[in-house]
Amino acid sequence: MRHIPWTATVLLLLSSLCYPQDTTSTDPETIRQLVQQVKDLQERVKLLESQQNHAEASKPDSTNPPVPPVESADQTAPVPAVGQEPREVHGIQWRGFGEADYKALNQRAPELGTYGFVPGSQANFYTGDFGLFLTSRLTAKTSVLSEIVFEEADAQSYKVDLRRMLLKYDYNDHLKMSFGRYQTDVGYYNWAFRSAAWLQTTADRPLVMEFATNGGLLPTQAIGVSVTGAIPSGTLGLNYVAEYGSSDTIRPDLNGDGFVTDENNGNQTNVGVFARPDWLRGLQFGSSYYHDQISDNVLNGVSGTPVPPPPGSPGPAARYDQTIVNAYAVYLAHGIEFLNEGFLIRHALIGSSLHFDTPAFYSQISKQFGHIRPFFRYQYVNASPNNFIYKDVGLRYGPSFGARYDFNDYIAFKAQLDHTVRRDEPDLNGLQLQLAFTF
Amino acid sequence: MPLLICLTSLVSVRIAAAQAEDVAVVVNERNPVSKMSRAELRRIFAGEERSWSAGLPIKVFVRASGTQERGALLKLLGMTEQEYKQYWTGQVFRGEAQAEPFTLPSNGMQREALVAYPGAVALVRLQDVKAGMKVLRLEGRMPGEAGYPIN
Repeated sequence: MRHIPWTATVLLLLSSLCYPQDTTSTDPETIRQLVQQVKDLQERVKLLESQQNHAEASKPDSTNPPVPPVESADQTAPVPAVGQEPREVHGIQWRGFGEADYKALNQRAPELGTYGFVPGSQANFYTGDFGLFLTSRLTAKTSVLSEIVFEEADAQSYKVDLRRMLLKYDYNDHLKMSFGRYQTDVGYYNWAFRSAAWLQTTADRPLVMEFATNGGLLPTQAIGVSVTGAIPSGTLGLNYVAEYGSSDTIRPDLNGDGFVTDENNGNQTNVGVFARPDWLRGLQFGSSYYHDQISDNVLNGVSGTPVPPPPGSPGPAARYDQTIVNAYAVYLAHGIEFLNEGFLIRHALIGSSLHFDTPAFYSQISKQFGHIRPFFRYQYVNASPNNFIYKDVGLRYGPSFGARYDFNDYIAFKAQLDHTVRRDEPDLNGLQLQLAFTF
Repeated sequence: MPLLICLTSLVSVRIAAAQAEDVAVVVNERNPVSKMSRAELRRIFAGEERSWSAGLPIKVFVRASGTQERGALLKLLGMTEQEYKQYWTGQVFRGEAQAEPFTLPSNGMQREALVAYPGAVALVRLQDVKAGMKVLRLEGRMPGEAGYPIN
């Protein structure tokens, strides 16, 4: 069949060439030129047909018939040269994330004021992270990633945080390296949602996964090198992550006493594995192990002056081995989000047998129904009252529930109710409303 | 007898129609890959696999919303259109991808992209497969064959 269009083309050309013969003289020179043109066209047709046959013969699996014949008309379409990848403009790609929040508590009992929420107030508006996310491709395997966050502080002042700044080099799927300031891959939540509220279903992060600068328990930031990649494992879909860097966490006390703990972390090591098995799409489970050394150096949050250690405390000079073991299993498919993550944080006083274990977990489930996604979360943190590092944390547990409504692909509204049981403190009920957006 | 012929013809027409709806996995014709599993394909279009076995970076091209190829893609990933967009926003923000896969509005553009980028991969309706596209076997089957997994 593919011969027909070419034959037709030749006949059409012949007829068009022959047509003038009726109206012009039939001198021998004209006839000779026409014959020569016909010969040229015949040769060209033969050449094109042989090229086409050669191309089909060189295709693997060419014996399989179902692929339809190539339309000859398309062969005349301009096609870029094979193997010459078009030159791409390596500009900077911007993305932005923001949120506007309203939070109300049922009492004025001291509680940490994260972001712009004022401790001791019952309700106020505030903004969370406003993040500018930049990426730029340098070469086929090298790129730069940067996340600049403007975060509301006290009295509606804003501080700038270079939350991520990474030079990334992807050698292949098995070896992907990042150098610079990264968010630790301790657990799933930090990896999955980073610092964009828009990505989260809930209005806030689980306490254990809250950023350390907002009272969270984990060292969420570090400067160093992060390596990740796939491990050949067939249908199990194993991946690894290894991080080595320096972090220096300053964590405000959760109980609103106005103090901060400068942990003076040493270099940290974090290794983990996770699997995304082919046999259950949407399932991801993994585990990680983190280690560094920290101090319990309590400072006044405003003046930065050291606070005298409470009686019985080893004091700011003491160093603790901090190990964090994490395990998680999440399922994300068919509109279902099911997150389950557990931690065991151990602080062991160096040179002593004294150690404290802090277990924590959260479980969150949600399901998309059109534009709305109702969710339920339960979280639990239990720090020993004798653990001076987490003395402000204590025991906290309780449910959160609410819904996220996506107006479109860029704007979402969330409403969330929280009930938190606290050791030696009255229960805390809260309402959070959030307008999260990306652009 | 005429009834049997009619039924046979009807079945044949239906099979032919189903085969015509198959969506082919196509790559640049210089790509040495000739087959893959459905799970591999899903990982590639989810951005979890980002380089071919020879180390060549994978460049994913997808068709716009509302096309048959887009429908097949969402079915492959098990996502709605909204979830797909949110997923890629997350992938970019996590640093797992530099950008959402290129969305091309026409088959012609998709064909030119496949020819131009050595690491290109796309889903194309069987009847739209053109010169310069190399069709891959999926789970051991070519599009149009019985049991081909994407349509």
